[in-house]
Amino acid sequence: MILVNLISLFLLYYLKKSAGPQGFPENLNRYFKYGMIAAAILIALGIAKAPPEILFQLLSFVLVGGIIYLILNTPELDYQKTLAITPLPIIGVQLLEYLIKTISPAVFDILENYLDAAGFFALIWAVTMWLNHRKQMKEIEIERIISKEQERQLRNTEEQKSQLEVLVAERTSEILKQKEELQEALNDLQSTQAQLIQQEKLASLGQLTAGIAHEIKNPLNFVNNFSELSVDFLEEIGEEMAKISESPEKQNILDLLEDVKSNLVKIRHHGSRADGIVRSMLMHSRGGTGTMDPTDLNLLIREYSNLAFHGMRANPNPINVDIQLELADNLPQVKLNAEDFSRVILNLVKNAFDAMRDKINALGSDYSAKVTIRTKDLGDQILIEVEDNGPGVPDEIRDKLLMPFFTTKKGTEGTGLGLSITHDIIKSHEGKLDIESTVGEFTRFRILLPKAKP
Amino acid sequence: MKILVVDDERDVEDLFRQKFRKEIRNEGLELLFAYSGKEALEILENNNPPLVASVFSDINMPGMSGLEMLGIIKNRFPQLQVSMISAYGDSENYQKAMSYGAKGFFTKPVDFESLRKEIGEILRS
Ligand SMILES: [Mg+2]
Repeated sequence: MILVNLISLFLLYYLKKSAGPQGFPENLNRYFKYGMIAAAILIALGIAKAPPEILFQLLSFVLVGGIIYLILNTPELDYQKTLAITPLPIIGVQLLEYLIKTISPAVFDILENYLDAAGFFALIWAVTMWLNHRKQMKEIEIERIISKEQERQLRNTEEQKSQLEVLVAERTSEILKQKEELQEALNDLQSTQAQLIQQEKLASLGQLTAGIAHEIKNPLNFVNNFSELSVDFLEEIGEEMAKISESPEKQNILDLLEDVKSNLVKIRHHGSRADGIVRSMLMHSRGGTGTMDPTDLNLLIREYSNLAFHGMRANPNPINVDIQLELADNLPQVKLNAEDFSRVILNLVKNAFDAMRDKINALGSDYSAKVTIRTKDLGDQILIEVEDNGPGVPDEIRDKLLMPFFTTKKGTEGTGLGLSITHDIIKSHEGKLDIESTVGEFTRFRILLPKAKP
Repeated sequence: MKILVVDDERDVEDLFRQKFRKEIRNEGLELLFAYSGKEALEILENNNPPLVASVFSDINMPGMSGLEMLGIIKNRFPQLQVSMISAYGDSENYQKAMSYGAKGFFTKPVDFESLRKEIGEILRS
């Protein structure tokens, strides 16, 4: 009977060892463990021939039967099916021997030789089946290795694929970045090109302006000279007329001469206006000449803002305006072309007056016009601000403000050159002009001038 | 005392005659006019030594420019005083005029007071 238990033990041991890398479920392992313990106990009992022998022998069959049942009915052990049928004949012969011995020992003596022979055949069967089973197991193992290898290769491929994907993503982002950089460079080029075209246009416009200005200058000089002369002559006529005795005709002539004189004064006035425009056009296209000398900027601002104010008050449409000077104390002298730079102050202040005049006309007495002029020492630069609380400059025209011939003023009021000339003069001083503004609130012209190197 | 004025603008004649009306009437000033450099040279060529005491010339004229004419006059009649009048008051024109031997340089619009002073000096000399 020990043989049956050995078979049980062997089967359990073999099954336990045959577990693949993933192992068996927990309950199956438990069955193996308890089965092996039970087989060991039964072997021990068998060796000791402990009574009741017949019960333990029966239990041995129950155990081996249970194991075979387990093999055949557990899906995880499906591949071990041939293992289950390998010991079947041996167990069958043993069971038969056991039954005959138990029921009739006499019959057993008669049949012993047959049973031995059956036992021998059962052994041959078992060995054959075992060998067969081993072969199957090997095949399964090879298959398993092949599939494992395939799986490994698949995994490798997956890995390579994902590596490639990462690489592709990297390259793609690099290319995208390069594309963006190129796009940026292209945009830069395009805006530079636009600027160049604009500059080219302005340059040719400048030449054209100079040409036109010169052509206009000569006839304009005649208009001015002749009108001036005629006014002088009318004075003389007046002196001569005083010598003629009074008469209604004389009075009529005097009245007419008075009108002619007033007309000539008008011609002279508008002629000199045109002359001023021509002059600034010429200055604009030629650029100022003159020397840069250390200048008291605060003094210059005081003088020329005052001049601008009185000029405005003396001209048609004067406005009430409060001029505040917030000038930095101890401002160092700045190297300036004072003649040119005084035009900057005049232009900016005059510009502020004109802007605020529009707001006064629109709002009336609710609004009090104010111009603030500041200077500040910023270390390596000097800041000059001319700020008005006028109508402000909309964003869309702020860029155009410094362009020649751009004007927001109506009719004959502006040449569109004032700010453009201002900008040119500041540039010729290596300075910068910025415009800050909020519509309806303020406009602030900021001039940054480099300090003279000592 | 004769003074020659050269300018391609014909109205310059009226302007000068009216501006110097008193000098013409009372101080014996006589104005001659030429409307091109060539015409001016012809007037000068007809009499040697020239009849005029001084020449006032525009620079920018069609054909012969005032500066060109200045060079020729100074070559032929070194003693003759020539002053230039130009709308282009740039330093290049001024330098050229001076190096060619111009006596004075006036920019347009002409400041007639300083021109009157200049002519007054010529009349008195
Ligand atoms: Mg001319």
